[in-house]
Amino acid sequence: MSRYITRLRMRRAYKWNGRPVSKDRKLKRQYYESMSISVEGKTEDVTVSLGQYILIEGDDDDNPFVAQLLKLYTDDSGKKKTAVVQWFVRMCEVPQNKRKLLGRDPHPQEIFFYQDRSCDNEVDGETILGAVQIEYVPVEDPFPKGKSKGILFVKLLWDTKSFRALNPELMQPPQSSKSPPPSSHGTQTRALPTPDLSVMKRAMSGILTRGSMSTGKMSSSEAESLHSASKLSAAKALSAKRRSRAVSGPHVRKKLDLCSPSKNMTRDDVLGEILDEHTEKTLTSKLNTSPTGRISISIRLTRLNLNEEECVSPLSSHSPDKPRLTAYDKDDATRARTPSRRKDALREPALAALAEEEHEYSPVQTAATPCSKRKSAQLESSRIRKQLNLLGNTVDLQSDGEDGDDDDCFVPAKIDLQSSSDEEEEAKIDSEDELIVKKRRGSGTSRSTEKTRVSARTPRKTPSKKTAPATPRTPRHATPSIPSRSAPAKKPGNVLEEARVSCQKLQETTVLLVDELDLLWTRKQNVMYNLFDWPTRRNARLVVLTIANTMDLPERIMINRVASRLGLTRMSFQPYTFKQLQQIITSRLNRVKAFEEDALQLVSRKVAALSGDARRCLDICRRATEICEHSGSQKNSSGLVGMSHVMEALDEMFSSSYIAAIRCASVQEQLFLRAVIAEFRRLGLEEATFQQVFVQHQALCRVEGLQPVNVSEGLTVCQRLGSCRLLLLEGSRLDLFLRIRLNVSQDDVLFALKAD
Amino acid sequence: VCTGQVWMCVLMLCDCVCVQAQKLLRERLCHQKLPDQPVGLDSQYKHMLELLRRTAVHGESNSVLIVGPRGSGKTMLLGCVLRELMSLREVQKNVLLVELNGLLQTDDKIALKEITRQLHLENVVGDKVFGSFAENLAFLLEALKKGDKSSSRPVLFVLDEFDLFAHHKNQTLLYNLLDVSQSAQTPVAVVGLTCRLDVLELLEKRVKSRFSHRQIHLFSSLSFSQYVDVVRAQLSLPPDFPDPKFSDEWNHSKLCDDKTVEEILRRNFNGSKDFRSLHSLLFLAVSRVSVSHSTLREADLIEACRLISADSKANVLHGLSILELCLIIAMKHLNDTYDGEPFNFQMAFEHLLQLELVRPVDSGVCKVQREYQLMRLMLEHGQVMEALQKYPQCPTDVKQWALSAFG
Repeated sequence: MSRYITRLRMRRAYKWNGRPVSKDRKLKRQYYESMSISVEGKTEDVTVSLGQYILIEGDDDDNPFVAQLLKLYTDDSGKKKTAVVQWFVRMCEVPQNKRKLLGRDPHPQEIFFYQDRSCDNEVDGETILGAVQIEYVPVEDPFPKGKSKGILFVKLLWDTKSFRALNPELMQPPQSSKSPPPSSHGTQTRALPTPDLSVMKRAMSGILTRGSMSTGKMSSSEAESLHSASKLSAAKALSAKRRSRAVSGPHVRKKLDLCSPSKNMTRDDVLGEILDEHTEKTLTSKLNTSPTGRISISIRLTRLNLNEEECVSPLSSHSPDKPRLTAYDKDDATRARTPSRRKDALREPALAALAEEEHEYSPVQTAATPCSKRKSAQLESSRIRKQLNLLGNTVDLQSDGEDGDDDDCFVPAKIDLQSSSDEEEEAKIDSEDELIVKKRRGSGTSRSTEKTRVSARTPRKTPSKKTAPATPRTPRHATPSIPSRSAPAKKPGNVLEEARVSCQKLQETTVLLVDELDLLWTRKQNVMYNLFDWPTRRNARLVVLTIANTMDLPERIMINRVASRLGLTRMSFQPYTFKQLQQIITSRLNRVKAFEEDALQLVSRKVAALSGDARRCLDICRRATEICEHSGSQKNSSGLVGMSHVMEALDEMFSSSYIAAIRCASVQEQLFLRAVIAEFRRLGLEEATFQQVFVQHQALCRVEGLQPVNVSEGLTVCQRLGSCRLLLLEGSRLDLFLRIRLNVSQDDVLFALKAD
Repeated sequence: VCTGQVWMCVLMLCDCVCVQAQKLLRERLCHQKLPDQPVGLDSQYKHMLELLRRTAVHGESNSVLIVGPRGSGKTMLLGCVLRELMSLREVQKNVLLVELNGLLQTDDKIALKEITRQLHLENVVGDKVFGSFAENLAFLLEALKKGDKSSSRPVLFVLDEFDLFAHHKNQTLLYNLLDVSQSAQTPVAVVGLTCRLDVLELLEKRVKSRFSHRQIHLFSSLSFSQYVDVVRAQLSLPPDFPDPKFSDEWNHSKLCDDKTVEEILRRNFNGSKDFRSLHSLLFLAVSRVSVSHSTLREADLIEACRLISADSKANVLHGLSILELCLIIAMKHLNDTYDGEPFNFQMAFEHLLQLELVRPVDSGVCKVQREYQLMRLMLEHGQVMEALQKYPQCPTDVKQWALSAFG
């Protein structure tokens, strides 16, 4: 699971050392040689300078990213510090399935020179943690022994496909003449003093990437190769894993940031492809006309499903990078299921019914349900359409649906599609992709697994601060960060505004997903107002997606100014039809033959007729398998869950308990109920006072030949019925004048009483 | 002197034995000890045990509601199930039990604190500030994981007076607990105990959808003969009682076969089938056992029944002065003549007012002069008459007046 945001973090302050060494007028940049980092609570500052090896903050505090510092610069505002680096990878960042390629066990302190031209090498300067010592060890030499743990060794080069011997020249800092010898380690092995051309070029490319808008010099082919594969695919799996543990704090993401006009052609092609896959083809034309089309990837996978793999894999063949992704998905899938797997291990092999029960119940994840898929496509198309048409500005989507209708469930699937298409796109062309997904849940359930999934698909990008998802409990808490006790909480509005501004600074498109919207309701509706107001602002780059289970939520609770800011896209989720329910069960069963066909149909038809709640449907199946399991041990030949079991489960869940309760009530209680009905009939009203009923009760007692009860006993009987809610009563202090109403229909009562 | 001492000894011995017997029975009736096996709830017991075993041993999440009227044995059933469950060794050291009561944990904050306390996590939580309830709960559950992801400890949540939790704001606690039980996180079992049959209607839609809709209904379908058997079992002394002769004599008394006793029991059975009212009846009877009469006799039960079924307000009437009684009678007549219409008094009758035998009609709007405030009589016709009959030294003319048809 995740670490918690509440954990205290050290604050670091970053400062340039000395004056800028050079200046680029065109790019408005000032280059520096070194930077000092002062950590709160420590007296000594750490200085990092060009050529030195550094640690960069990642998702995993124990294994930060390693890189060599190539360049340091600031933009003209002087606020944003950027570093250009050469990456190194740890073994754990290499994808699982490629680790074997090494052919031996890696040394615990071993790292690899990372050669992947597609990987972005610009990071936010403020993610640098400090310096680290790296030693080059020639391929044939053994690893030196007895060195301190802090030293890392580099022997080989990893180019995302294979391990190769590393030319020590590559380790050479590009501008050795300028860079002062690293302060912390003098013994560094550095073979050649001359700058290496290829490294220089690589170092420069990062800058060019950023500058390509203004310079426009870069050939499209070069740019393409730079961005074709998503960065550090190797690290994807790792970063997912890391994130599953570490959630809080700024995450490292490597950003692919390019908005070059020369790419329009390619983008259109690929979008066309996507649309073929997922949406209407007609969109393509619209895409072509959009001047500042911007595609956002939003990656949030709440739940995992098997179908999902299928929808990813066809796409994944586009780039050499992709197979890894799918491989990882599988990995993730198995991992996500472990809680239920554990049961397998623990449980002795049992009936087929049992096994199936687990599949079906392991509540892990909702498959991309039929309905969801349809919605996903719809949603995606509308998203793209809107984004491109409305100058890349905004969409508000609101989805309403019954609970258990999967209005929740569809989202992951949808975003998944989106992400898969976008990833493909990312692979094929270089469009600007960015994402932040923040999830807010009204009443707040943070599912731990969610976090894992988010990261599962989030490619590692340029380090930048990412607001950690928080789950608000009240509208007041619907703020991005959690105030610590020491620092007084800011006003929610301000915090939200700040978060928004900071997102904007990052030039990212943000998808804001708000679940259980109705719980964010406040009297002044400030939270909702702000929420829907942001996307309407200029340059907001925000998609607000809200989920609620009330169909007419906007009409019912929103005041005009909020309602008018709401986008027009509203998607209502009808209760599932029986076909869809059937499909859901089948997909959950995962091809295990456990139910008779008729039984399945009965369940889904029954539920569809009542509520269409998918959860309820699965619960019934679960109960039916339990019943089957118990009866099956005696005789049952087929071992399948049959009609009788399902019927029994249905009866259990849907039968009203009132009648049973009345039948089992004591004689006096039954008499009292009868008296209530008699009194109602006499009065012609549905309400009577205790005194009136009591008179009837005593008369009935005499008729039945029982000793009449006194008032105290009568009241006791009355209160007991009231506590079961067979009767609705006023406060007992009213005594004789307490008013009585029936909570069951008179017919039910009479039916129950007549039967015995 | 010698015979006197022997007599004393015999008396003390007898005293001792009978006090012992009394003590034993009173404990049985009062302490609500769990029975060895729940009576008449076998199927529910099995179902419940299986359900909790799945959570405790296999790590399957579950949620279930036990519904039944007061005194129907919900807590007893759960107690028995937990006793058996905890006797398994693997369960004992693995499962965590959290018990909450709707009457004590009146809001979610308190409930969360209590959960933290019962999970012994106060030191882990420390003075962290959590943004939301869900986060806090997730943190707690996370803290329970034993190192590796797949083996977190199952937690059983028992929510007594479940319906009261539904009145918490936004039902956050229920939403989160049930949500955890629906998704594959820490294995939890949520067991709710309630006497409200309509408890599901109290749940919000999103909460309801997350509940598994398993309900175990406890309605006693006891017949009268079974009921008498229970009485017999409750009153008999155990075989390991120190004085076998006494216990033999006690156990063989034909108390339950007596006609009047049976009538009393039937009356009680008709009133309610639950054992709590039976226990209070038997308790009163057993308390009357003393040295002078060392066995339980029918007279004891009759007296106990009289005490229990006595009308509380009729008792109060017995303590009134003649003058006050006159007032009551006057009011009774007024009630009869005007068919329950409210009336007023120009007289002082604070005492009656204090006893709540009469009560002012709530007049929300304007202040009426005190003398003219409308009053209601809180007594039934029969109650007054009965009290009058029993009233010691009641003047006959008052009685006459009460009986007469006109005021």
